[in-house]
Amino acid sequence: MGGTLQEFALGEPRPANVGEIEAGLSAMWRSAAEASGAESAVTRASALTLLVYVDREEAAREVNNLIAEVTRQNPCRAVVMVMDPQGAPPGLMASVSAHCHMPVEGERQICSEQITLNARGATGPELISVVLPLTVSGLPIYLWWRAESFAMPAYFEQILRVTQHVIVDSARFAATGADLRALAAWLEKYSGRIRLSDLNWARTTPWREVMAQCFDSPDRRPYLHRIRELRIEYEMESARLNTQRAQSLLLAAWLATRLGWEFQRAEPRGENMPRGFYFQSGGGEVRVERVLRKMEGGGSGVCFSFVIEADGARFSFSRGPDGKVVQTRAEAPGLPPIGRTVRIEAGDEVEILNDELMLSGRDHVYEEALALVARMTRY
Amino acid sequence: MPETAEMVNPLREGIRLRRTPDPCSMVIFGASGDLTERKLIPALFYLSRERMLPPGFSVVGCARTPKTDEQFSQAMSAGVKKFLHLTAESDAFVQGFAKGLHYVADDFSTPEAYQKLKDTLDHLDQEHGTAGNRLFYLATPPSFFPVIVGLLGAAGLAKPKDPGKTWTRIILEKPFGRSLESARELNQTVTSVFEEDQVYRIDHYLGKETVQNLLVFRFANGIFEPFWNRRYIDHVQISVAEELGVENRGAYYEEAGLLRDMIQNHVLQLLSLVAMEPPATFEATAVRDEKAKVMRALRPIHLERVAEFVVRGQYVEGFVGGKKVPAYRTEPKVSPASNTETYAAFKFFIDNWRWADVPFYLRSGKRLPKRVSEISIQFRRVPHLLFRGAGAEGIEPNILSIRIQPNEGISLKFCAKLPGTTMQIRPVEMEFLYGESFGAAPPTAYETLLLDCMLGDATLFNRADAVDLSWELVDPILERWKQDGPQGLAPYAAGSWGPQEADDFIERDGRQWRRL
Repeated sequence: MGGTLQEFALGEPRPANVGEIEAGLSAMWRSAAEASGAESAVTRASALTLLVYVDREEAAREVNNLIAEVTRQNPCRAVVMVMDPQGAPPGLMASVSAHCHMPVEGERQICSEQITLNARGATGPELISVVLPLTVSGLPIYLWWRAESFAMPAYFEQILRVTQHVIVDSARFAATGADLRALAAWLEKYSGRIRLSDLNWARTTPWREVMAQCFDSPDRRPYLHRIRELRIEYEMESARLNTQRAQSLLLAAWLATRLGWEFQRAEPRGENMPRGFYFQSGGGEVRVERVLRKMEGGGSGVCFSFVIEADGARFSFSRGPDGKVVQTRAEAPGLPPIGRTVRIEAGDEVEILNDELMLSGRDHVYEEALALVARMTRY
Repeated sequence: MPETAEMVNPLREGIRLRRTPDPCSMVIFGASGDLTERKLIPALFYLSRERMLPPGFSVVGCARTPKTDEQFSQAMSAGVKKFLHLTAESDAFVQGFAKGLHYVADDFSTPEAYQKLKDTLDHLDQEHGTAGNRLFYLATPPSFFPVIVGLLGAAGLAKPKDPGKTWTRIILEKPFGRSLESARELNQTVTSVFEEDQVYRIDHYLGKETVQNLLVFRFANGIFEPFWNRRYIDHVQISVAEELGVENRGAYYEEAGLLRDMIQNHVLQLLSLVAMEPPATFEATAVRDEKAKVMRALRPIHLERVAEFVVRGQYVEGFVGGKKVPAYRTEPKVSPASNTETYAAFKFFIDNWRWADVPFYLRSGKRLPKRVSEISIQFRRVPHLLFRGAGAEGIEPNILSIRIQPNEGISLKFCAKLPGTTMQIRPVEMEFLYGESFGAAPPTAYETLLLDCMLGDATLFNRADAVDLSWELVDPILERWKQDGPQGLAPYAAGSWGPQEADDFIERDGRQWRRL
């Protein structure tokens, strides 16, 4: 890992103008080089353009810190778009800064640049006209949608025409079902052209892996097609509720799509109670029960526990109180029980984002699960 | 959907970047040895904690030392904590992993021990669902290989338990033989019991990330391969330097020497990866075929010309890392009149179209100033020099260096103009370091190779023909040294970059060893 972080900024935010932004960046690099002294040159590095959309000014400050960490692993030009349609006075302001990872003695200093654009009032189309020329020629463009809802304005079409990869985090969605449905509808339009990643889905990767491994044994694999009940428990603690609510839906849909279950119906909405779902599998009806529980500890916020009941067999996956360990147990008639303890800790937002920035290719499994979630939550 | 055990696990689809082997048991012969405690068990623990091993995965340690399962588990758990520097936070993982550790204490030169082992494995198949898949790891001195292999065969443990559905594999630690004759003999013994595709001859160098990256670097980038030949490359240097002496392995080293310990396996493997033609696919057979072709094309060094192509040395007293260290001949269990080489430098030629007349200089030694392994590709100078006078003195040939350890990475040296009004040229380096670029430590070689073997991927393991070919190259040199006795064995001070004779050797060709 690199050394400590140093930030460079040039002056106060000014009315956004592409020529002035580029001139500001050049001036900033000169001052960064001077500050570093003759001993260690500054290397300006960029492997991609990262466009970041946030819907609040406070969120922009959070993102600033995250980008500083992201650039350690993925040097890039970051363009942060802070949208505040209600903000006043209306206008578009820009500021430039750099994140430099101070080297240990004898190594080079690597810096990435950030342009922050604050769009107040109805200045969306103007914002896009500034963002487009600021993307780095020839490098891939990633759009990180870091907002509490997924409602992409029509003027983003210009950006989507040049973007290869859109990253969302369904853990941030305030209206989980509605936002996942909006995301599914958006994906239907852009599928094949743009890769979609959901950081919240990435957080479930260790769980999916552990569950899959449980059925690698040929003796236990047939039980996959005899599942009658899936019970998912998640936390009622409010800070993690959105994260886990979305995860519980996506994981239920993941099992259903992988195992070829047909969605039948959802239980009626109960007040503050998660709904259960019914599916039809080759072997009969499958009930998916979602249960809210108060849980000890919290760790990184990745979910719950799962219990799969299948024709007398029981497969359970329980997160330890520190959130870093999962204990699994497989019990099936005529077979000795197998248990194990493995690491389940999901990375933090920066680690997961860094992983996503290095992946390519569509995630069909996620896309299918998302489409099913849209159906499950429609009513 | 049919409910058969053969159906593919549908939950596996789309889980990225991960491969998990079939449920299996791993049997380690030599379980009370250093390799098991320091390397194998920590590598297995890491794989287990990171969810890369299947549920129910079990280890059976085999050795003569009497121990219970519990004692073995405790000793291995302590080793895992010590060698991986784990804190109490990891206790739950260590305890979970230790439940899968078992031990069979017996004399493994007797058939009875194998019956006991068989019973244990059958029991694990039942209790842990290991499904009859078995991996035998021979972490014993090579002299035990024939006995263990023979008795595994006699006990019916060498064949898959349920052919077509289960697998049985064996990993053999180097050195694989100590001469061409003994390697062939051993190979015959092994292949009379196991099929070649069950045999995994491990060379941990091949599991290192940069070694694998060498293939990616060469064959996934369009810009390097066109220059990877005699037209653009002046020569290649492969250096494997160690700071350590023989430590407590004096008796082994007296028998082996540097040539058998490093050159015959690690260094020649690196050479074959640098020089090989592009394989048709990244699959074991295709990659290993191309590596074998390089070994076949290496020009043999005849008995009477050894001194022309090889320098050997032995360290004498000196200073390493600020500490005084003894001469090789005064190390424990080393003969005071030993002629064993602790340093060797070679010049090889590869007689094919790509590499005709391009020398490959190899050097390796113990008690050198630092631990470093590197491949450097030195390109030819430009055919006509535009820049003359004082400013052009800094012009050096381009060098592409591939660092294997430590700080795994790749760097390219090229010339650039110094800023200013005069034409001053200086070499600069463009560097890619794994640790900095990906921010994550690569897996250790044993983690990579153990997982590959469980997955049935033999790409990074040695095949019998390549082992044979490497001994064919090395045998005449060993024979000549045996005849020469102390003559030609150049002393070098511990902590130096080897004997002066090695510098003279490369300078005779108008070249220099790269400063490491």
